[in-house]
Amino acid sequence: MKEEIILIIDDDASIRDGCNQTLKREGYTVFTAAQGAQGIKTAREVRPCMAFIDLKMPGIPGDEVLNIISEDIPDIVLVVITGYASIISAVESMKKGAYDYLPKPFTPDQLRAVTRRGLEHRGLRIQARKLKEERDRMERGFITFVSHEMRSPLVTVQQYMEALKAVAGDSLGDDVLDIAQRSSKRIQGLQDMIEHWLDISRIGGDSFLKDRASLDLSSIMHNSIEEMRLLCEKRGISVTYDTHDSLPAVMGDEASILRVFVNIIGNASKYTPREGRISIRDEYDDYYVSMHISDTGSGIPEDHLAFLFEPFYQVKGRQQEYRGSGLGLTFCKRIMDAHKGRIEASSEQGKGTTFSLRFPR
Amino acid sequence: MEKKKILLIDDDRDFLAATQLILKSGGYEVFLAENGKSGLEQAKAIAPDLIIVDMMMETWSEGFDVVSKLRTSESGKKIPLIMLSAVDLNGPYSSFEAPEGVPSVDLALNKPISAEDLLKYTGQLLA
Repeated sequence: MKEEIILIIDDDASIRDGCNQTLKREGYTVFTAAQGAQGIKTAREVRPCMAFIDLKMPGIPGDEVLNIISEDIPDIVLVVITGYASIISAVESMKKGAYDYLPKPFTPDQLRAVTRRGLEHRGLRIQARKLKEERDRMERGFITFVSHEMRSPLVTVQQYMEALKAVAGDSLGDDVLDIAQRSSKRIQGLQDMIEHWLDISRIGGDSFLKDRASLDLSSIMHNSIEEMRLLCEKRGISVTYDTHDSLPAVMGDEASILRVFVNIIGNASKYTPREGRISIRDEYDDYYVSMHISDTGSGIPEDHLAFLFEPFYQVKGRQQEYRGSGLGLTFCKRIMDAHKGRIEASSEQGKGTTFSLRFPR
Repeated sequence: MEKKKILLIDDDRDFLAATQLILKSGGYEVFLAENGKSGLEQAKAIAPDLIIVDMMMETWSEGFDVVSKLRTSESGKKIPLIMLSAVDLNGPYSSFEAPEGVPSVDLALNKPISAEDLLKYTGQLLA
């Protein structure tokens, strides 16, 4: 006796009986229903592997039965039985998630073949899903493992530097303290790099962007500017934002978009001299909402623009003082990709750089 | 005046050593435990005034287990506790899936922690 349960939903008693007999002889457990509502009820109770559904029945239409069952019973294989052997209705059903169709009249051989194929397909589908789940689980585990194993030694070294200052701070000369300070700073840089690298790895996962919501980009921009205000003030740079009152909403993940904005503003502030300006404006049309972030910095040579979003790419000759992890713009690009958006840089030497972020509406 | 006793629980020996140096420079008597079990035993034996425990040790939740056991024991119910973690504690425990019914700690801090902050917080909790 096979374990597979098969459900036949058809208002035609001869079809129900015929299918029942043929499939029982093959060893399947068969349930039948004469109309849609009864079929849905039975499906919920017995949770079949496969269901044959007549498209044309009195009561609930067959395609609606198909929809409900495919939502209720994961992994079920659905085959539509179509009386008016029209290819159009069959194609419509396939679009709605049916795996195959059987045009009436059909032979027991045809029924057996479709059943075997459908169940095989189901087996492969379940296997593929399990493999994918396993892979996702391993990836997540790996990321967590790496983050812990790589952070631990760094954390410990930093703690020793702190201990050094606590224990011997007063007796150390300024030159030695300076060395300790510089070491701490470089270790912090390495730690930031690991954090950024982990952020970027996480973007690849399926769980990323699951919590998409309808967002007002202008309020996220205001928050980003607020977050960067002190830093910009310290660097002597003014920030202005010219916004439309009713910017259309976009779908996305608020936290990561905020980090993209903060990143771009932070970058602009690094490469803009004192008394400089960062001016931000938004615009939209029927399809996109865009943010443009411009600075009055030294600009980026044109031949570098295409590589800005590559990991660890550094434009030579720029200030070393604010050297970052080399992953900030890569992070931004990945986030924009995940939102099906675009990020581009344009620049004029000596005048400044503009980063444009475009989100689909 | 007798020195206040602090028990440090962490599976990283170097982290213990470094943190011990900082706490000693602040005038505390420091006891070390390299795992949760030894930490719980020492907590009972020496009756510390403050316990600092790492969240992830041998297992991800070893720190939580230690805190739970301390909080349900008669002697450990009221001892001030600091939870330390190298994973981001954006608001206590948030980026880590905390087990059901996580017991309260007095402070959750990120590793590494500056000597200045560590001594400030321990001073506050022991005041």
